[in-house]
Amino acid sequence: MSGILGTGVQEGLLLKPVKYQWAMDLYDQAVANTWFPNEIQLDQDIADFKRMTDEERHAITFLMSYFNPNELLVNKALAFGVYPYINAAEAHLYLAKQMWEEANHCMSFEYVLETFPIDRKEAYSSHVEVPSMARKEEFQVKYIKRMTEETLDIATVEGKQDFVRNLVAYNIILEGIWFYSGFMVALSFRQRNLLRNFGSLMDWIIRDESLHLKFGINLILTVLEENPELQTPEFASEIKQMILDAVEMEEQYNEDLLPRGILGLNASYINQYVKYLADRRLEELGFDAEYKVTNPAKWMATANDTYELVNFFESTNTSYEANAKAVSSKKE
Amino acid sequence: MDITVVKRDGSREPYDANKINLAIERASAGLDDNITWVTQIASELGLTLFDGITTQQLDEAVIQVALQNVKDDPQFDTVAARLLLKTIYKRVLGDYESDAELARLHREHFAPNLRRGVEEGLLDDRLIQMFDLDRLASALEPSRDDLLKYIGVVTLNNRYGIKGRNGDSLEVPQFFWMRIAMGLSLNEENPTEHAIRFYEKMSKLEYLAAGSTLVNAGTSYPQLANCFVMEMQDDIEHIAKTVRDVMWLTKGTGGIGLSVTKLRAQGSPIRSNNTTSTGPIPFMHTIDSVLRAVSRGGKKFGALCFYMENWHLDFQEFIDLRQNSGDPYRRTRTANTAVWISDEFMKRVQNDEDWYLFDPLEVSDLNELYGKAFSERYAHYVAEAEAGRMHMFKKMTAREQFKSILISLSASSHPWLTWKDTINNRALNNNTGTIHLSNLCTEICLPQDEDNVSVCNLASINLSQHLVNGAMDFALIEESARIAVRQLDNLIDITKSSVSEADYSNQQNRAVGLGVMGFTDVVERLGFSYESEEAYELIDEIMEHVSFAAIDESAELAKERGAYPNFEGSGWSKGMVPLDSIERTEADRGVPIKVNRKSRLDWDSLRAKVKGGMRNATLMAIAPTASIGLVAGTTPGLDPQFTQIFSRSTSSGKFLEVNRNLVADLQRLGLWEKTRESILRSQGDVQIIDELPDELKQVYKTSFQLSPYAFLEVAARAQKWIDQAISRNMYLETRDIGEMMDIYYGAWERGVKTTYYLHMKPRHQAEQSTVKVNKAEDIIASASLEGANSVASETKSAPARRGFAGLGNKPSE
Repeated sequence: MSGILGTGVQEGLLLKPVKYQWAMDLYDQAVANTWFPNEIQLDQDIADFKRMTDEERHAITFLMSYFNPNELLVNKALAFGVYPYINAAEAHLYLAKQMWEEANHCMSFEYVLETFPIDRKEAYSSHVEVPSMARKEEFQVKYIKRMTEETLDIATVEGKQDFVRNLVAYNIILEGIWFYSGFMVALSFRQRNLLRNFGSLMDWIIRDESLHLKFGINLILTVLEENPELQTPEFASEIKQMILDAVEMEEQYNEDLLPRGILGLNASYINQYVKYLADRRLEELGFDAEYKVTNPAKWMATANDTYELVNFFESTNTSYEANAKAVSSKKE
Repeated sequence: MDITVVKRDGSREPYDANKINLAIERASAGLDDNITWVTQIASELGLTLFDGITTQQLDEAVIQVALQNVKDDPQFDTVAARLLLKTIYKRVLGDYESDAELARLHREHFAPNLRRGVEEGLLDDRLIQMFDLDRLASALEPSRDDLLKYIGVVTLNNRYGIKGRNGDSLEVPQFFWMRIAMGLSLNEENPTEHAIRFYEKMSKLEYLAAGSTLVNAGTSYPQLANCFVMEMQDDIEHIAKTVRDVMWLTKGTGGIGLSVTKLRAQGSPIRSNNTTSTGPIPFMHTIDSVLRAVSRGGKKFGALCFYMENWHLDFQEFIDLRQNSGDPYRRTRTANTAVWISDEFMKRVQNDEDWYLFDPLEVSDLNELYGKAFSERYAHYVAEAEAGRMHMFKKMTAREQFKSILISLSASSHPWLTWKDTINNRALNNNTGTIHLSNLCTEICLPQDEDNVSVCNLASINLSQHLVNGAMDFALIEESARIAVRQLDNLIDITKSSVSEADYSNQQNRAVGLGVMGFTDVVERLGFSYESEEAYELIDEIMEHVSFAAIDESAELAKERGAYPNFEGSGWSKGMVPLDSIERTEADRGVPIKVNRKSRLDWDSLRAKVKGGMRNATLMAIAPTASIGLVAGTTPGLDPQFTQIFSRSTSSGKFLEVNRNLVADLQRLGLWEKTRESILRSQGDVQIIDELPDELKQVYKTSFQLSPYAFLEVAARAQKWIDQAISRNMYLETRDIGEMMDIYYGAWERGVKTTYYLHMKPRHQAEQSTVKVNKAEDIIASASLEGANSVASETKSAPARRGFAGLGNKPSE
């Protein structure tokens, strides 16, 4: 078997020759992107948090209640549903780094939760007790359970389909739509000069998640390319429906996130952004756009889309890359 | 949903779209397309509204919506600035209808607001005693607020404007400029007249005083000096005193340079209790914590840069202070670091020789020496070490250490590289002692010791306001330089710190540093490339004029007010001007300094004049102007354009910066609307636009596309004329350590005294939100590119198929 999928434990023990260069490149970049939450000092943000409105504090707490457990849920999806069924060493390297990053993100939210004056008990229980949040989690768990309760036979079409379903669920939907919509909400505070250091933390998380998404999409495209039997209209429409369902779930969640409005944001604004993101993911998978809405958050050009010149006495420079020497040799 | 707005008094009224539209229309007056803008802003505002929004939130929301359109047209920035100014006017002066009424309110409120500031103990009593307030009030020109960009209004308002004890804003921008001008005229015989002169310059943004002066001038706590430079002595009493001084200077908003070279190394013996020292690192960590505990003027955290000579035994750990991993107690997350490098080291790098590290306790004179004298003494200690007569030492190759400095620089932007021998040999002011370090921003070169904390007082000429009818107005530059020098000299007699060694040194030396900002803005408007001979010639000529006028004015002030106390024995007293010290430095170094020596003005007569007396030990330094550059609305210092569209992160938030000069050029060519999305997608790189004429591509390179040697050449040409130094920011795309070694060696070769922060080009950015992105298409594009280049490669650089394309577009089927 020569594709990216496979289960042989003794396959994929040698890195060279590298077959999937994109995975190697992503690994190199991910290593350079290494950061730690304690590089960020939150003193000023605590002062901001205290003077924010109840609705604003609720939104931030709600976001972290969601992100914190779900970063680890991604790890379960990777550990049970992706890593075991891949036999390219370069992809394993990347997945190992990604799993560390998810752990690091979880610790970052912990860092914030433990530093901010937040009702931690409530924050930790929301993902179970708030129905719109629990529903999103159950959706993910359903796909992971398929992997934990019985082993996939990755040689069969059914096994490969389950592999792709899980990939779409955690990567395209959870990371690529749900997390991204949360990022926009989190960064919106910085546009009003609130929670700037928390914003720096988010910058790093988004930088990591952008790579996770690149990896996921490359992986899906590769699996589809190598396994033409998956390219059926039935399977395609099932995948598309998953994404449309996810948008609907996110709309309910956003109502709970922002029951009233806050300055610059309300639930329907976020929903429009979610649809904008969903269209982008659909197009990346080769579908047509479904919602055809514009991006309401034009300010993301400032918050996220451009190189950042940091007045470094006042703000953390998040665009550095660690590991100046550690680029593995590329084309020799 | 019916939307009601909550007013200040708590009552509610229905949301009135008309009222908002009218306000936006007014803010767009005189700009192109204002009708379409009104509808656009209004409809985007509609998306964000919610029931129960307050009037204040509504004001802020309108501004935010205007701002998010800056990426499509920088004129939206003007709209946002006007909207924000209006809310400030309303808060400080009350409602108004017309410009005439606004001007009247300015005049009427000026004196009462000053009085309130004095009554609340915020402002200096003399502001209401010494001045003809009616005359000052009628000199106010509210129309000059048009010169401010949005980020300038925000910065003025957040950082510099005075607020009453109950939080009320007491100042509109023109009140602020006048208060600063008054605060710097308190020692003049005719204070009203001088306040108006200074006000005219600053309110027209022709020059600006530096940060601390803008925060504190005219207040009851006038710490107006900007830079403090001090040494920590190798004794516990002085270490404790230093912690205390750092606290006070930070409270007064000063930036601090602190040398730790004299502290004995880890493991070095302590006689008094027969133990060994922990070395300098833990003390640096302690000071780092102090910086976060005491905020600067309640607005920013403290800022400090540690300096160490690279022969210190603990130097490797000094490099690691800014690493993002490792023992947090051996890190300084807030403080910056810089290395103080000798000619001897650069030569050993060049010749691939060994480098020795010593314990300062055993080589206590080394820190006082520079140039040839340093080299001789260093060679002596090396011989002692090799002969086994040194208690502790380490040995490595000079190149190995140079590399580890540069690796750390590329990963953490620290330590900054500064050259002690160039600084000391070129100095005209070190007749009283050695210069042991530079300051927080690497532009100050002043001597210090246990009794002297050196102090420098800064201002910067805004070159953008001196480009008149397509040419530099050198007469206006000289006028600005002269008035600025007088204003700076006044500052010295008005400022107070809570560190007596600083006040003493300030009085003895009266050091000032006049710099420039807006160089790149001017270069672009003249149609030059930053890396062209024209640009090099321009900075050379500009700085010659600034230098000439500043020195001449200081000599004039000496006639009027007397020479500075430490004048005798200085380079000035021997008839030297900054240009003359290049030769001296070259002779000591024994290696040519690669910079031209051309001059244009009558320096001989000035040489004769300075011999007769100078008012100030130093006159020039180019500061980074990272904050006041924003107020001036121009490019900071000598910095290039970071990229053509980028975001700026400051303590007032994150702001989008679009190069207005480029947009104007593209609009002229009818290209802006067509290309703006691709320019955003490329993170502000216009080299991708095929239709753009080559000349413009040359003008609008990003900082990472410019040759790093251009930054060095611009600095070297400015440095010719400057007695202190330049905060030379660096920008690099390359991560090749060999290339970096050449570049930083090139800085030393050109006689550049210091380099400052290094910005590395990020290799990877987060997925963009507001431009079209399709990763699958990007993957295919890169795959086909690779495919064309490689022949039947086994490696799959990317999958080829486009996912589910053409399969499942109708989910209901």
